[in-house]
Amino acid sequence: MRSCSRAEGARLPDGLRIRRYEPVLIAFGSVALTALAGAALLLLGGYDPVAAGAAMLRGSVGSWSTFVSITLVRSVPLVLCGLAVALAFQAGVWNIGAEGQLYAGAIAGVSVGLYGASLPAALLVPAVLLAALVGGGVWAVVPTIMRVRLGVGEVITTILMNFVGIYLAAYMVHGPLQEARGVFPQTDPIAPAARLPGLIPGSRLHVGFALALLIAAGAWVVLRHARFGFQLRAVGASPEAARVSGRIDTRRILVVSFLLSGAIAGLAGGVEVAGLTYALYEDLSPGWGYTAIAVALLAGLDPLGVVVAGILFGALQAGAGAMQRDAGIPAAWVGVVEALVILAVLGLDRVRRSRAKDRR
Amino acid sequence: MSTVLARLDGVERRFGSVRALQGADLEIRSGEVHGVLGANGAGKSTLLNILGGMLSPDAGRIEIGGAPVRLDTPRDAWAHGVALVHQHFTLVPRLSTLENVALGRGRRPDLRSEVERLMDQTGLRVPLDATVEELGVGDRQRIEILKALLRDPRILVLDEPTAVLTPIEIEGLFTLLGELAAEGRGVVLVAHKLDEVLSVADHVTVLRSGRTVLTGVAAEQDVDGLVRAMVGTETADAMALGLRGSDDSRSGGPGKERARGRVVARLEGVGVRRPDVGSLEGIDLDVRSGEIVGVAGVEGNGQQALALVLSGRAGPERGRVELPEAVGFVPQDRSTEGLVADFDLAENVALALHRDPEYRRGVWLRWAELRAAAEEIRERYGVAAPSVETRAGALSGGNQQRVVVGRELAVGRDLLVAENPTRGLDVAAAAFVHEELRRLAARGVAIVLISTDLDEVLGLSDIVYALTRGRLHTVPAAARSREGVGALMLAGRGSQVA
Repeated sequence: MRSCSRAEGARLPDGLRIRRYEPVLIAFGSVALTALAGAALLLLGGYDPVAAGAAMLRGSVGSWSTFVSITLVRSVPLVLCGLAVALAFQAGVWNIGAEGQLYAGAIAGVSVGLYGASLPAALLVPAVLLAALVGGGVWAVVPTIMRVRLGVGEVITTILMNFVGIYLAAYMVHGPLQEARGVFPQTDPIAPAARLPGLIPGSRLHVGFALALLIAAGAWVVLRHARFGFQLRAVGASPEAARVSGRIDTRRILVVSFLLSGAIAGLAGGVEVAGLTYALYEDLSPGWGYTAIAVALLAGLDPLGVVVAGILFGALQAGAGAMQRDAGIPAAWVGVVEALVILAVLGLDRVRRSRAKDRR
Repeated sequence: MSTVLARLDGVERRFGSVRALQGADLEIRSGEVHGVLGANGAGKSTLLNILGGMLSPDAGRIEIGGAPVRLDTPRDAWAHGVALVHQHFTLVPRLSTLENVALGRGRRPDLRSEVERLMDQTGLRVPLDATVEELGVGDRQRIEILKALLRDPRILVLDEPTAVLTPIEIEGLFTLLGELAAEGRGVVLVAHKLDEVLSVADHVTVLRSGRTVLTGVAAEQDVDGLVRAMVGTETADAMALGLRGSDDSRSGGPGKERARGRVVARLEGVGVRRPDVGSLEGIDLDVRSGEIVGVAGVEGNGQQALALVLSGRAGPERGRVELPEAVGFVPQDRSTEGLVADFDLAENVALALHRDPEYRRGVWLRWAELRAAAEEIRERYGVAAPSVETRAGALSGGNQQRVVVGRELAVGRDLLVAENPTRGLDVAAAAFVHEELRRLAARGVAIVLISTDLDEVLGLSDIVYALTRGRLHTVPAAARSREGVGALMLAGRGSQVA
């Protein structure tokens, strides 16, 4: 019996190893596809794709200071929200609500930054970040309860909570939290002691970036090596098998990962306020919570991949500004590019999946 | 003299890097039942799926009625008179029997009378207006066969239709297959039990590692020769030992002289009423260490509920349950409940082991140890996977089952609950699992074997129960025969049809 199967084993080479480098292929494939499609679109619009591409590169990675002060700075909320989305998706929780959770975190963070001005920096900065974590987590509570208790799909509830979060922030900066002057719809700047220190002297990059890297590394380690991470992946990959194994409290895992995801997205809002803008205003986020879905998918839901994908999308957004300035191309075009990337990722991911299924 | 209806010649098919078929031949003649045999992963299902148009071959020739054909979709296969009854059901649970039959055929006003006529002719009775999710596996199987027969196929292909049927139902099915063949059709049948196949088949074909290694008249074959062909001569001798071992203990009955162990699990007045897993009523059961308790029954009589309660995966609604610490559970549906398809073997083994102290350090998992445990299971149970990093979903059904069984046997140090543990396993693997169950019992593990396979229950168990309509009936020693237990099992059939 044993030797018989060994003979069988010899003719069954591994169908798995391919999995390892496929995400990388997909990432490069999507970028290449996007570049081609983007160039074609630009030509159609009567723009010079070469000049546009050059402006884009210059504006994102043209110099060390551009890269650090623009691209990396923009990547911070993308990486954090991307991590939030990736964690949730790995657990089979389709949290589309990072945008609303980010705003909730920003509101909570800015409130602490405004009203806790008397605290020393050593306490205030952690308090701001903690408030942002809690704010984002709280924003995920309603969808979590509705999913776990009532069986309502979280895709819809989290999307709806986004609107609540976005408009709550708008209300705050028009009402209770509006600056003392009462002119613009924004808050007063938070106390200097509430602000995140810079990371690289002479640049705008703040320690929020280091925090994002740290969380990414932590998430990677936990997913791979910790009991919680393993259980989270099991619940995401097969809730049935996880439940029947008798060793995983699937409901608990679901709740914890959903709230954790919300908290990390909330942290993105707090970090943005404490590290960069120092104030809350309407349109704080140009849709980072949504772009983060593309970031997470492009990364194949891998936390370290999220860092790379987040920086890539940060560069894309930085380059878009330069393209508008230097090549006279509307910034809205970057929205088209982003959409193209998402389509390319989803398309290629689909191809990979059907091939994997075929391999069965 | 019968005519050749279809001929498959040198058929090859790969799945990624896995070569499922590498030169398979099959000749189907009118008026004959053709049995296809092979070990797990030999390519039987792949070959049948190619014949049914579910898969396209990479190479090889398919002839039907003497002319080469392409069967790229099930529609092509139907057009050429081939109908496939799948191993895994292809029914929509929320739709009624009739709606399921109507799927892909369009609603026709005369469909109901047509189906009723067919049911009368074949004796395959199914309630037409019940939704499929209310029906047991036996009924679902009958619907699949009815669906295929409604197409009036010249070639009827059945992939393991007997796994979920009772002995009496199997007899009925085989009589029907004989009649269908007598009408001039060709019938292709895959089944794991050699004696079953030999009892009905006119011709047999044996596949090994994706190749046809033997084909001939069934009456001229003997079990030894077929087993040899299935596993290859070099391993047949080693295996014969295991097979004979199981035959001996079957006739003698295992563990007769063993002293009765202490009670490790006890159910008292347990009641469950759940639409998804079935109902139990007033179940009293003691399971003692070192004892194999067999629970026979037709699927859908509460087996799943009993398995979940006994393994501690579900609490009872009424009654008391006492269970030991280390309980292993081989669930009925290995591919969705037993394994995570996207996890590799090591991760799937970790699913059951990751909370044991020896496999973790606080909240951290010790992957080196987990991987070693998986490696041991892979080798010991002969899982046809190149390494423990192989994705479970990439394995054939039989090999998936080996992983689940191996893992749970390792986990269930006090009590092992196994639901149809050898379903879908080839003879050799099934014999090996039986051997392992006996070995564990001898080491003092309490075992509950819930199975629809009567031979398995009768051959292994120290105590036999029949589960019908959620109630356990003790089977007295005198009634421990296929007929005796079969009669008890069938007493519960009515609940399914109502």
